[in-house]
Amino acid sequence: MNPFPVYVFQPELAHERERARRLSWLSIWLLMSAALLMAFTVGNSQTMKTAWVSDVLSLVPPIALLIAMRVELHPPTERFPYGYTRAISISFLVTAAVLSLFGLMLFIDAALKLFRGERPPIGTVVIFGRQIWAGWTMIAALAYSLSCGFLVGRLKLPVAHKLQDRALAADAKMNHDEWMSEGAAILGLLLVAFGYWWGDAGSAAIISLNIMRDAWETIQQVIADLMDEAPNVLDRHQLEDLPQRVREAVKRYDWVAEAAVRLREHGHLITGDIFVVPREHTDLPARVERVAQELATVDWRLHSLTVMPVATLDQTTPAHPG
Amino acid sequence: MTIIPYLVGACLLATGCGLPKDASGTVERVRGGVLRVGVIHNPPFVIDTGTAVRGVEGTLADAIAQDLGARIEFRRGPEHVLMRALHTRELDLVIGGLDAKVPWVKEAALTRPYYTDEKAHVLAVPPGENAWLVKVERVLRQHEPRVGQLIAESAQ
Repeated sequence: MNPFPVYVFQPELAHERERARRLSWLSIWLLMSAALLMAFTVGNSQTMKTAWVSDVLSLVPPIALLIAMRVELHPPTERFPYGYTRAISISFLVTAAVLSLFGLMLFIDAALKLFRGERPPIGTVVIFGRQIWAGWTMIAALAYSLSCGFLVGRLKLPVAHKLQDRALAADAKMNHDEWMSEGAAILGLLLVAFGYWWGDAGSAAIISLNIMRDAWETIQQVIADLMDEAPNVLDRHQLEDLPQRVREAVKRYDWVAEAAVRLREHGHLITGDIFVVPREHTDLPARVERVAQELATVDWRLHSLTVMPVATLDQTTPAHPG
Repeated sequence: MTIIPYLVGACLLATGCGLPKDASGTVERVRGGVLRVGVIHNPPFVIDTGTAVRGVEGTLADAIAQDLGARIEFRRGPEHVLMRALHTRELDLVIGGLDAKVPWVKEAALTRPYYTDEKAHVLAVPPGENAWLVKVERVLRQHEPRVGQLIAESAQ
């Protein structure tokens, strides 16, 4: 066996990964175009400034994902003998840090403006020789940004499900949830148009809270990764039955008397240890090696499993909390 | 995205319906009433003779008042006092050869430049009075072609 295996995706999944990569690039271009459009219209509006930062921040996850996808399939090295599959966790960490920092900063900014009663001056712009209120151009830019986020979010979600990709799913959700930010910004500007000056900083506060909520969800993911959490159902806080299925598969070998399995998410993949109490000991090393290979077919994400023969097992399943 | 055409339509409609509005109704108050203008002597933009205010921005202030059928009331004072008065809406407009780089952006709202040489020349209005800001900027744009000539006249 090879103790330093390189994971190879099956053609169908490799194809989906290619789609994920292309969609990430599409997001980057679309969100950048929206950010550029918003930068031209931003003016003195706090809500516009916040929505713009929120839009630029939503570039971070796809960029991190693209980097992680490049790095994660590198073969293990002397320095990183377990391989690079967890690169994606680092991209989560970076995203969480950036989001929480900016979210907090923008919230304080908006809260101070509300508290001090700073009113947003929004004047006119001249477009194609017509002089119109800049608020309308801001709303148009926000509507464009909203559609971009909605579109890429919708496109990425099915790919994320096929790949069981937590990072892509989180990114898709973040894009999709941008409609709340842009919607709040549009509402805020409409309030300003009707003479309610607090609409601007008020909606900016809501958007910054939305950014902080994204940050919190990402932090939870980072914590779960660091704690070697068992495989989870995508989009739901629910454990998968994969460890049980692997255990049943092991116990189906007639030379296995008892077995215990522990699995953890390893970036996009799943790895772990399988302990077996053998019934017969002839040819044991070869049997163990074959089990390790064959078990990887139970789920495509299983990778680099360790099978360990032991004399006895005190416990075959971990404790249930509560 | 089906909402965009509606949104654009709504924007066009809104412009027709007198949006944006002021937070504190400056346009409504000034129309046919009193336009309170803060004055900082700064030739050739503002020439304060004590009895009258001339210069480019004096002319522009007249044009704005005329547009709304208002009478002008001048108030003199140091720049920071006048800007403060804008913030508390005791003044409606400050003229003083201000350029877009003045550090008053937080206290006052600056108009878009009505003239650009090495500086971008602006007027200042109370922040949040967006119908008023739009009104002032529209009058400024109407007079944009005349500004070069006005400066030359005022400089004599």
